[in-house]
Amino acid sequence: MPNLQIIPLDYYIIFCSALFAIGVVGVLVKRNALVIFMSIELMLNSANLLLAAFSAYRNDPAGQIFVFFIMVVAAAEVAIGLALLVMIYRSTHTIDINVLNKLKW
Amino acid sequence: MTDKIYVPADYVPILIQSLVALGFVALTMFATHFISSKRKRIRTLRKDENFECGIEVQGNARFPFSVKYFLVAILFVLFDVEIIFFYPWAINFLQMEWREFFVMLLFVALLLFGFYYIYEKGALEWNNDE
Amino acid sequence: MKAIIALSILAVLNMFFGVRKMKKVLLPLIFIGLIITMILNISDWGKSVHYFNEMFIADNFSIAFSSVLILIGILIFMFANIYYKGVERPLEDIYALILFAIIGGIVMASFGNLILFFVGLETLSISFYVLAGSKKFDIASNEAAMKYFLTGSFATGFLLFGIALVYGVSGSFNLEAINTYILGCNGNVPMIFIAGMLLIFIGMSFKIAAVPFHFWSPDVYTGSPTLITAFMTTAGKVASIAAFYRLITIAFISLHSELTTTLTVIAVLTIIVGNLSAVYQDNLKRMFAYSGVAQSGYLLMALIVLGPKSAGILLFFVLSYVIATITAFAVLMLIREERGTFFIPAFRGLAKNNPVEAFAMAIAMMSLAGIPPLAGFMAKYNLFVLTAEGGYTWLVVVAVIGSMISIYFYFKPILASYFSEGEPQHKIESSVNFKINILVLSILMILLGFLPQVIINLL
Repeated sequence: MPNLQIIPLDYYIIFCSALFAIGVVGVLVKRNALVIFMSIELMLNSANLLLAAFSAYRNDPAGQIFVFFIMVVAAAEVAIGLALLVMIYRSTHTIDINVLNKLKW
Repeated sequence: MTDKIYVPADYVPILIQSLVALGFVALTMFATHFISSKRKRIRTLRKDENFECGIEVQGNARFPFSVKYFLVAILFVLFDVEIIFFYPWAINFLQMEWREFFVMLLFVALLLFGFYYIYEKGALEWNNDE
Repeated sequence: MKAIIALSILAVLNMFFGVRKMKKVLLPLIFIGLIITMILNISDWGKSVHYFNEMFIADNFSIAFSSVLILIGILIFMFANIYYKGVERPLEDIYALILFAIIGGIVMASFGNLILFFVGLETLSISFYVLAGSKKFDIASNEAAMKYFLTGSFATGFLLFGIALVYGVSGSFNLEAINTYILGCNGNVPMIFIAGMLLIFIGMSFKIAAVPFHFWSPDVYTGSPTLITAFMTTAGKVASIAAFYRLITIAFISLHSELTTTLTVIAVLTIIVGNLSAVYQDNLKRMFAYSGVAQSGYLLMALIVLGPKSAGILLFFVLSYVIATITAFAVLMLIREERGTFFIPAFRGLAKNNPVEAFAMAIAMMSLAGIPPLAGFMAKYNLFVLTAEGGYTWLVVVAVIGSMISIYFYFKPILASYFSEGEPQHKIESSVNFKINILVLSILMILLGFLPQVIINLL
């Protein structure tokens, strides 16, 4: 993959770190469960992108194989997360996570 | 990775595949036209409605949709993404022995078991009200 | 490996029979399957087999921890029919998820490669998310599942980014290869590698509920169905600490002396915060969640001083924790079914009307608190000796103070059941089977207290 390596690896690392940071901030700041899911997906995908970039630079397919596993796991997580969301919506009629305050110390 | 220079002729397989994909669509459209009932087209109110994945249009688009539809969508995502494991397998297909073939058959068997399970659980039944 | 295959077949068979509505078959099938799995698992003892290009390593450590996980499965299924008494449907989905979670735990105890580590962790976690929400029409269960899912996948994100950075610098997912890379750096490990490693540690701290990443655990453990809480606290902790131990002892062993400060801070905070928060809880389930946090702190202590015996001590600690916790939760389940509450007054007069249950609860609580000569005491004693020998005397002092605080809250139910004033509660009917089960577990706790070396010397 000669074309890929024209772009310095640092750019990928910085870009992926930025994506990851956006995801983290999104999870911490947003109150809507769907937006939090999207932020978590962003975190996972930044790791995916980083793995793919490293894999391309090292000519080592292991990184890309890991990306497949992450994608499958992310899909499973989304399926479960959305199912939980429907469950919450059925009982509270909202997806704002501030209603989740029944359990507190 | 060898630094092979690609000439346009190398992309013929992709062209063929696109043609097959388009041809399939054209063929099915033609075939449905052919095997459907022979009556002339009749315009009815029902037929002129927007077609939205088989669900009747009901007023506002923000109306909460059927949970069954949602369930099928989730199941689709799961089965769809599992297929990703075929990709590395297919790339290395030529260097494989029979063993790897049977390993993949086992994987498919497990997927099929999952399908059997959700089928038996009634997750795919549309007309069954809760 | 054999254990994983056997468990997968068992889970699939269980789903098949469940969907065919053969409710009567399920639990016997699972018991036979789990016992066969246990035998298959132990039959590999001492062989140290490596599968799939070093991806899966079945050495003695992994076999021992896998056995503990399978034991957890057996104990949980032992009490499943009590918790799900009166439920008509076959429940094969919940059983299958428990089995899949055990598979994930076994993978986490046996990985030789970060890919497999991640797959095992997610198999465990995703099963847990669903199990936490398995009481579908209970808002507390929904909330617990949602919170667990959000924090759990948040932690997964950290873990993955860390793995990506470690892979990018060292060029491999293999634990041995990562260690070789660190050795090749001659002490000048790149900053980005350290960052990746710390991100992995943050992810793992979330999973074992170490302070300051513990905030999800009380809510999740309180809201989940009680049987599932017992399973999650034990299986989750065992699998995560086994994975953490493997990561530290194989991949990052050369950096261990630099890591001890971080680990010590986390361990101290976890012990103090866990024990102090548990003091204020009247809800026993919530108290168990906080005491579980404190126990994670003790488990982390075993990672700070790595001696030849630390794996054995970790195994013994985990085993005593598992048996005591599941016994306590079994009694708690029974009381909750009858009295409808998890609060301390529900225990009033238990010793008079249900002496067996009160005795088992007392033994379990004393073992958790670390009263000699029970298993929990010997586990803590060996752990503290190990830590003190490594030169961390002040850490031992903190841990002992934590233990002393824990006596206060662990004794609350004992005091309520034996010495309480006021009107005693009525008698609880329980089957002979249940009584025998909890009695056997209590005797096991006493016996293990006298024979700790048998377990410790295994590894």
